[in-house]
Amino acid sequence: MASGGVTSDDVPILQTENLTSNVKSIYYSRTFLSIIGGVVAGIWGFTGLTGFVFYFLIMMVASIGLLAKSKFSVQTYFDNWSRILIEGVFGGLMSFVLFWSYPLMI
Amino acid sequence: MAEELVLDTAIRDWVLIPLSVVMVLIGVLRYFVSKLMRSPAASPSPDPKLVREGQVVIRARNLRTNAQFIPTKAFKARKVYYTNEENGLLHVPKEDAQKAQAAMFSDPNMAMDMMKKNLSMIVPQTLTFAWVNFFFSGFVAAKIPFPLTQRFRGMLQNGIDLSTVDVSYVSSRSWYFLNLFGLRGLFSLILGEENATDDAQKMMQMGGGFGFNPAMSLGAEKDSLDIIQHDWALPKMERHAEDVLKKLLKK
Repeated sequence: MASGGVTSDDVPILQTENLTSNVKSIYYSRTFLSIIGGVVAGIWGFTGLTGFVFYFLIMMVASIGLLAKSKFSVQTYFDNWSRILIEGVFGGLMSFVLFWSYPLMI
Repeated sequence: MAEELVLDTAIRDWVLIPLSVVMVLIGVLRYFVSKLMRSPAASPSPDPKLVREGQVVIRARNLRTNAQFIPTKAFKARKVYYTNEENGLLHVPKEDAQKAQAAMFSDPNMAMDMMKKNLSMIVPQTLTFAWVNFFFSGFVAAKIPFPLTQRFRGMLQNGIDLSTVDVSYVSSRSWYFLNLFGLRGLFSLILGEENATDDAQKMMQMGGGFGFNPAMSLGAEKDSLDIIQHDWALPKMERHAEDVLKKLLKK
């Protein structure tokens, strides 16, 4: 998922190019997941709050996945924790809602 | 109040799906059109003075980001070289700054380029919106899967003057907006990162492009160089290397 650039040691000194590349791959994986998750939520027929809970559940699973991908040392790949936790979550919400309503009307 | 409405499947086939398909295709088209319009614009040789100033800004930025890797003395010398009030590279005399601004406003070429960029964004959106308004207004088109409060009625059901319809039923205009925002993610996936929607941001970052005000970015760079706290990282590095080596030896 998040195979960005190669970074140096676990000292908080990061190459900006690598950091942006890593953040971009987080953003792409989140966008992809929100679209797929929207379709899945629509097919399973979630409505109302359940769907949003499902979305945030997916995003939490994604965070755990990213954490595992970064071998549990976030400081090696990102400048702070919020990158893994919230980067792209709210941007993906609109995509999720759109692709959630597609299957429901068919 | 919350009675189930049955939406005609013809609405789905002839309104919602065509609208989505059209919006995706327009997004793809806009991407390629803006790509075509960009390539000839790069060929005329830019003003050497502009290029020089852009390079100075990039050099100063490199100094700022890598400041921790050089000793304090070296950093100070470089800082003076850039920000010195008399002949520092980043220092812009007052009259020059005003002149540059005036030149930017009077240059028709630059304005044209910016117009083109904006037009490629605005024209398709306006056209699609007008198309949606003209053909598909006045009826409930879709049901979004979550309930909303009464306040959203004006936004999601404009064109329908019924106060008893549940707010989760939306008009085609709202479906258009939902598509407009929701497809952004899809575009970034299918068109890659050079998406037309984040073109504007990239232009800002590059600085060398159109609508770039040299005096302003020079001044901004000077300010950020002035306030930087210098902290040499290399002594810490030695200790860090020692730690790593010790750890390796233990294994």
